[in-house]
Amino acid sequence: MAAFGRFSQVLLRSSLTQTRRQLSAAAGHGEQSGKTWKILTFVVALPGVGVCMLNTFLKEQHHSHEQPEFVPYTHLRIRSKRFPWGDGNKSLFHNPHVNPLPDASKSQTQEHCANRCKHFVLVLISASQQLLRKRGFSLWFSANH
Amino acid sequence: MAHQVHAYHMVDPSPWPLTGAVGALLLTSGLAIWMHFHNMTLLALGLILLLLTMYQWWRDIVREGTFQGHHTPPVQKGLRYGMILFITSEVFFFLGFFWAFYHSSLAPTPELGGCWPPTGITPLDPFEVPLLNTAVLLASGVTVTWAHHSIMEGHRKEAIQSLTLTILLGFYFTFLQAMEYYEAPFTIADGVYGSTFFVATGFHGLHVIIGSTFLAICLLRQVLYHFTSEHHFGFEAAAWYWHFVDVVWLFLYISIYWWGS
Repeated sequence: MAAFGRFSQVLLRSSLTQTRRQLSAAAGHGEQSGKTWKILTFVVALPGVGVCMLNTFLKEQHHSHEQPEFVPYTHLRIRSKRFPWGDGNKSLFHNPHVNPLPDASKSQTQEHCANRCKHFVLVLISASQQLLRKRGFSLWFSANH
Repeated sequence: MAHQVHAYHMVDPSPWPLTGAVGALLLTSGLAIWMHFHNMTLLALGLILLLLTMYQWWRDIVREGTFQGHHTPPVQKGLRYGMILFITSEVFFFLGFFWAFYHSSLAPTPELGGCWPPTGITPLDPFEVPLLNTAVLLASGVTVTWAHHSIMEGHRKEAIQSLTLTILLGFYFTFLQAMEYYEAPFTIADGVYGSTFFVATGFHGLHVIIGSTFLAICLLRQVLYHFTSEHHFGFEAAAWYWHFVDVVWLFLYISIYWWGS
């Protein structure tokens, strides 16, 4: 509701301000308003965004990444008409990790998840092995020189 | 040289209303044909025609107003009324989708489990990304106001900075929403919950993209010295539209994300 008030205020203010500017010889008082909004931007608005970003990041970490049990409810995953793309079964933002298909069982998304996780872990292991080898070499190098 | 004894703008004949109408017809019928017969030709044609129309029609308006001096105070007043009426029509457009949402959520049917959110739906946490999105849009409302004052006070560099910041925040919102859409555990096909959620937020997202584009055009015009401290209605219209988009989001956030979770 406050936002509505602000919205209509801005609407009126813009035409009113213009009229005032046209009537006044020099727009001395106007100089302040721009500065005010600049201060508001860097002291309130952008830090507010930063706080919310931090909050989101922290909450994300606390998440359990377990999936809820799959129950083939009839009121969900409705397919009364094919989607006009691909095989007609996947929504536009289909995410195999979290969007089970209507014919899916619990294992489908979990399996996919397990494969993805395995792949990710393997990449992580090989990357860290490479890093350790490099580190090991540099340590030996510095020790002997 | 032609003279007129009134302050109004007698517009020159133009083909753009016709091409726009034809484009709209092709777009709508093309959409229906794509849905039923999986053929994108008409849809693509309509889209191209409409985009060309918008580009050329609005380019002509900029020429008439900024370079030919046709936008006298009474003409500008008319343009203000026009923008206000258009935004009002958009308010009613969204009102419909809110009606649909409240109709389904206030009295959830037995098929859904008699509860809202329906059984089997895990709604998004309103205090994670949706809250961030709220902060982003509110911040962009502050930056666009800073931009307006900068333009009125003749601070060219600050106007460009604040307008750029506003557009970046708009892009950030769109990016975050796209991520949310991908990560959501429910889809548009998940009953009336999915339908109301994605249609309402989807149309809102489209309006964010439209608003960001409008602001980007204003940024370009500001860089090209189109705006004066007294006369910059194009920017004001973009700012009004942007505030409208912000307000719609606030209603969406409170109704669908928060109350509806």
